[in-house]
Amino acid sequence: MARSPKVAESAVDVVIVGSGAAGGMAAYTLTKAGVRCLILEAGRDYDPQAEVNMFAPESDAPLRGTGTPDKPFGYFDATVDGGWQVEGEPYTMTEGSDFRWWRPRMLGGRTNHWGRHVPRFGAYDFKPFSRDGLGVDWPIGYDDVAPFYDRVERMIGVNGGPIGLENHPDSPAGCLMPPPKPRVPEMLITAAAESLGIPVRAAHTAVLTRDMPDKVAPRSACFNATPCTRGCTIGAMFQTTTSLLPMAKATGKLRVVTDAMVSRVVMGARGRAAGVEYVDRKTGQRHQVTARAVVLAAGTGETTRLLLNSGEQGRGLANSSGELGRNLTDSTGASFSAFIPGLAGRPRYNEDGIGGQHIYIPFWLYEQQKRGELDFARGYHFEIGGRFGLPSSAALPRVWGKDLKQAVRNASGATIGLTLRGEMIPNKDTFCEIDPTVKDRFGIPVLRFAFRWSKHEVNQVAHGRRAAHSVFKRLNGTILDPDLPPEQIMTAGGEIIHELGTARMGADPKSSVVDSYGQTWDVDNVVLMDGATFASGPHKNPTLTILALALRASERLATRLSSGALA
Amino acid sequence: MTFTRRTTLQWLATATALSLANRGAAAAAAPQATGAPPPFKVVDWPASIAPMPATKGYGRDPDLTAPKVPWPLTLTKPQRATVDMLGDMILPADAASPGAGTLGVGAFIDEWISAPYPQQQADRAKVIAGLTWLDAQSRVLHGDAFTAATAAQRATLLDVLTVEVPSPAMAQPVAFMDRLRNLFVLGFYSLPEGKADMGYIGDQPTEGPYPGPTPEAQAHFATLLASLKLSMPSSSRA
Repeated sequence: MARSPKVAESAVDVVIVGSGAAGGMAAYTLTKAGVRCLILEAGRDYDPQAEVNMFAPESDAPLRGTGTPDKPFGYFDATVDGGWQVEGEPYTMTEGSDFRWWRPRMLGGRTNHWGRHVPRFGAYDFKPFSRDGLGVDWPIGYDDVAPFYDRVERMIGVNGGPIGLENHPDSPAGCLMPPPKPRVPEMLITAAAESLGIPVRAAHTAVLTRDMPDKVAPRSACFNATPCTRGCTIGAMFQTTTSLLPMAKATGKLRVVTDAMVSRVVMGARGRAAGVEYVDRKTGQRHQVTARAVVLAAGTGETTRLLLNSGEQGRGLANSSGELGRNLTDSTGASFSAFIPGLAGRPRYNEDGIGGQHIYIPFWLYEQQKRGELDFARGYHFEIGGRFGLPSSAALPRVWGKDLKQAVRNASGATIGLTLRGEMIPNKDTFCEIDPTVKDRFGIPVLRFAFRWSKHEVNQVAHGRRAAHSVFKRLNGTILDPDLPPEQIMTAGGEIIHELGTARMGADPKSSVVDSYGQTWDVDNVVLMDGATFASGPHKNPTLTILALALRASERLATRLSSGALA
Repeated sequence: MTFTRRTTLQWLATATALSLANRGAAAAAAPQATGAPPPFKVVDWPASIAPMPATKGYGRDPDLTAPKVPWPLTLTKPQRATVDMLGDMILPADAASPGAGTLGVGAFIDEWISAPYPQQQADRAKVIAGLTWLDAQSRVLHGDAFTAATAAQRATLLDVLTVEVPSPAMAQPVAFMDRLRNLFVLGFYSLPEGKADMGYIGDQPTEGPYPGPTPEAQAHFATLLASLKLSMPSSSRA
């Protein structure tokens, strides 16, 4: 679908950097509005239909498909040519920081292998400062974003059920497809959690449970088999490569150039951007593209790096506020698991379902938090695991022979897991900046990350562990996770791949980089559409909100283009 | 000097043994208690093992539709024979499935410890040293390599290698066996024969909404809830 890089030979209105959730949505919305777009994607061209191996057993893969530095999430994982490390494209860290930066480097970006959990942010999530005095409020509230959530859910295909809880908005009728039935371990966790006053609800998941016909990119309902992260040739899982990109392409208004590493925004007359410069990753040649507007959707880190490497040496572009690169957050992460004797040897049936969890535990302690009863601000949720298959080695006793075979049969389907994802509050010690000396193989200066969790995140994880263990104990479970201090069980910065906030939106140009439509305060034809614009990083997985804000920003940009505001 | 398996089992019974219920959280935090030493002199853990020739992994962008192992296997014939034999002891043949050695899981172990990645190379150090130690210990006790020992003698050694709380001298040998055992579990249960042994049902496309638990699974669940004095969750009520 993409062509090899060369100088753009026909005029474009908008150049879009990146082809993931934000770039895909921008291309779709703008081309549908008649705007001529060019996508520049740093990674390689990628066609799930040709490349995804949905059905091969793990035993066909080297090392039984186990993750390695080459393929961190497993051999068959859809990530190609990218990951925690990219050849010749380093990043650095300040002394004492531990930060992992996931770079997908492929057409469609992370949507090819993402987590698919798509909760809506709620009213509190957009106004956190008003609630607890920490961080900043967003310049928009839930009501501003709600109509876009409605449309995005219908557009990408989301299944889920009602929630009916404080700060967990429900979708209007017609937005969601029916959720799948819960599995036995999920029902058991529900029973135990509910008995302790912890709510459990059907998760909102970006997987079709009903067909979604379309002339260009028809998508089929999930057939309840194969791991989603390998990619989905039937289009049940939302990924831009099987939906928004082919649809945008079909308008005749979109061109895509892959292996195009954008190095900087090029400035033109009257304080406006003239376009971008990119490096052909295959040949090392530099090219320039001119456009009436530039959309940055390269992912939080790369979008920020691009701006820092543009404009004024040492200050970057669109950085009059000095906030560019600041306010970096990632979700907190920790995993808890237990062996449940009552599940040992239970009757076998097909527990594949729609891939991931069917239900989850939303944050439930807003009232207690408001009364000052918690030692942390903001919330977390639990994603739920527990299915038939090979149990973790922690669930197996140190035995051999017939006893070991029996132990495996017993433990298969008898372990459950609760995975915590929590909000991080921006702090002054967590940011990214341009490394003063290190450059990548194209000569582009690289990012340097500084990262630190605060007491809020540490206390939150400690609280989450107590809650998870209380559920396990109610089930007479044997806890399998190591008894270490919360600092030692937390994931490293960036590890959850929810990095956000480094070009945050706001109402005041002095303390923010962009307005609520992603338009930079300093350059009115540069529009940011990815996670960099988030004013806070709620515990709710960010992709649905990235899509909703990208839709909103793209429609606004289309209006400005047609009204002559950018003439 | 040879010890019978019976002597060892008596020793095992008197050594501090913890059930699974005490493993995990509690065990991981507490400083490791020291177990009783086995009733024989433990030979020294090998000081070093021969380095592996440099080789390449499959890279960040392998062809996922035609998976291949690009690195050469490195176990010697005698090492592979020992691994195969251990496989048939660790996961032996029974009515449900063949032994792991017979099924060829030894080839997977070889593939694993020959892979040029940090985790696999760390495991290689453990496994090769462990196999060397096993032969040395076997020679001291029985005058020959592990594969030449009687079934009872080999079983005795495996008992010693799976003691719940090892003595300091046995810490590394037990860690070796832990790793090898977990690799055998991974290699065996990811094969069709292993999945069948676990009674695994799945990997089958099913049109229409996910059917959910079978009546039998539902009934089992209802009984379990009652035994735990829990109510049927609201989401599963009709």
